[in-house]
Amino acid sequence: MSLLQEEREIILSNEYVDTFDFAEVAEFVKNASKDLFISHHFKKKNKMLVQPRGGFPTYKKQFALYEFFVDANVDVLPLTIDSNTRLNDYATSKKMLRLSEENDVDMLNGYPLVNHGYRTTRKMITNFNKPVSLRHGTPDARLLIETAIASGIFEIEGGPITYLLPYSKNFPLDKAFLYWKYVERVCANYSKLNEPINRESFGPLTATLVPPAITIVIQLLEMLLSLEEGVKSFSVSFAQQGSMNQDIVTGAVLKKLAKYYAAQINCSDASIHLVYHQWMGAFPMNKDYAEQLINMSTVIASMVGADKIITKTREEASGIPTKEANAKTVSNTQYTLGILNGLPNVVDEEEEEMLTLQVKAIMEAVFNDPADTLWRKVFNCIKNGIIDVPFSPHIINHNNMITIRDAKKNIRIIKRGNVPIPDRCYAYDKAQCDLTKDTTSIVNDIIHDIGIMQ
Amino acid sequence: MKVVTGVVGNDIHVVANRLIELSLNARGYEVFNLGVNTYLEEFFDAAVETGADVLMISSLNGEAEGWSREVKLLKAKYKNLDDIIMMIGGNLVVGTGSAEDIVPKYKNYGFDIVCHQVDLNTGLDMLEELIKERAIEVSNK
Repeated sequence: MSLLQEEREIILSNEYVDTFDFAEVAEFVKNASKDLFISHHFKKKNKMLVQPRGGFPTYKKQFALYEFFVDANVDVLPLTIDSNTRLNDYATSKKMLRLSEENDVDMLNGYPLVNHGYRTTRKMITNFNKPVSLRHGTPDARLLIETAIASGIFEIEGGPITYLLPYSKNFPLDKAFLYWKYVERVCANYSKLNEPINRESFGPLTATLVPPAITIVIQLLEMLLSLEEGVKSFSVSFAQQGSMNQDIVTGAVLKKLAKYYAAQINCSDASIHLVYHQWMGAFPMNKDYAEQLINMSTVIASMVGADKIITKTREEASGIPTKEANAKTVSNTQYTLGILNGLPNVVDEEEEEMLTLQVKAIMEAVFNDPADTLWRKVFNCIKNGIIDVPFSPHIINHNNMITIRDAKKNIRIIKRGNVPIPDRCYAYDKAQCDLTKDTTSIVNDIIHDIGIMQ
Repeated sequence: MKVVTGVVGNDIHVVANRLIELSLNARGYEVFNLGVNTYLEEFFDAAVETGADVLMISSLNGEAEGWSREVKLLKAKYKNLDDIIMMIGGNLVVGTGSAEDIVPKYKNYGFDIVCHQVDLNTGLDMLEELIKERAIEVSNK
């Protein structure tokens, strides 16, 4: 028996799992409908796929949410997991699920997939016969993704960096890399049975003034960590940044460099997709304004040439959205996509060059780290601040990089910390901003820059 | 002047915490930022370890209310913390409440400066004033 299979048997002999039948699950994946695989829909390339967010504690409510989404002409269904399950606290999610079922009040902020189990959840997924994307935020997602794939969920979001640095203060980063290595291998193995399982990285990170160079570097590294384990279908992603031009430049550079670095490790056979998140920062309280913002995000996603868009709702500022509001966004976004024709082709060569130089310099620093494997190189580079994510709560993150918006609302690096931004690019970024002010005014500007959409 | 700061309890809201650090640095303080998700014991331990002059606790989700009740009791267990300036700010209540009710309550819990939904720079100005007052008191003794 392989080491991986030994580890799988330990993970799945969990007291919260009702006997996991490996052979039956493999047989199910092998014969599963192609429609359940987002990788299959990407291949057809008909249109930008629309995917909302959403998860409710009970089976009944999740089913009802899916009915609303299907009526709204959804392309990809979400399954958002509750926060207890994300922290592997299945006992609490079990208790809260029971309370939710008995009292008709939601006691969880998502669907506790492990507690529901794959036999139950699979009924729902196969009933709708649409691709489902697993949305969580779990550093140790081993049991969760085993349950997801066995349920018919063939897209797994996340990664060791993007699901840790924005969400946790002190979960050990090295452990996260090893737990995600397991996830990649399991996805790669199942991918041999039918259409490939798609892995997607979470580009928005903290959604707070993250400069595009950092976003792209982390997307590329999670892609490489996934491809090197044998994953054949991967989505890189990022969220609306505040400047349309910067988004277009970011999309172009990300697409080009993803191809370039995949080829460097002889993984050109893998298909790489681009996912765009509608604005992930602070939303306006005014729900009509929120809809305008969402609509603008859809236009930018089209300009960027995204393969999939992930939507927000008009209720974003007030809490977990109702299924009605959530479905409304889906149909509105589909409508906008349907009428967006004859988009101009915008290329900003100078900005693309600057961004490419930044990304390549950071990537080179990562590859030059003396560690023996890629994950250890990445780990070291986060530890020593070569990769620095603004506003990450994690203790390992340096927080020495400072960013601000220029007059056109592009995010610029005004203090690079330990990140090896080339001098020329650093001077270019700083030249776009008014840095004659005192630090207190700059802090006020940063506060304003974070909340620009409110 | 040394300041220990952080977000109390299981609160993970990090944005303001980083801005507080930046602003304190800009005003010339030496900052020891414990970040989000920090328990009271960790604050006091850090204050002793660094010899801090100011302990600045913040809260966004309002759970400070629950933790602050234990401040006096816990602080009494530490030596050498009698002169430290205790400051708290952010959203100091779960749900809504008025500063009129909240400020006296927190002063009772053992805080010298209480900023409920007060602008960051106004709060830091209040701190500077108190530091000046204390310096005058000391020189008058």
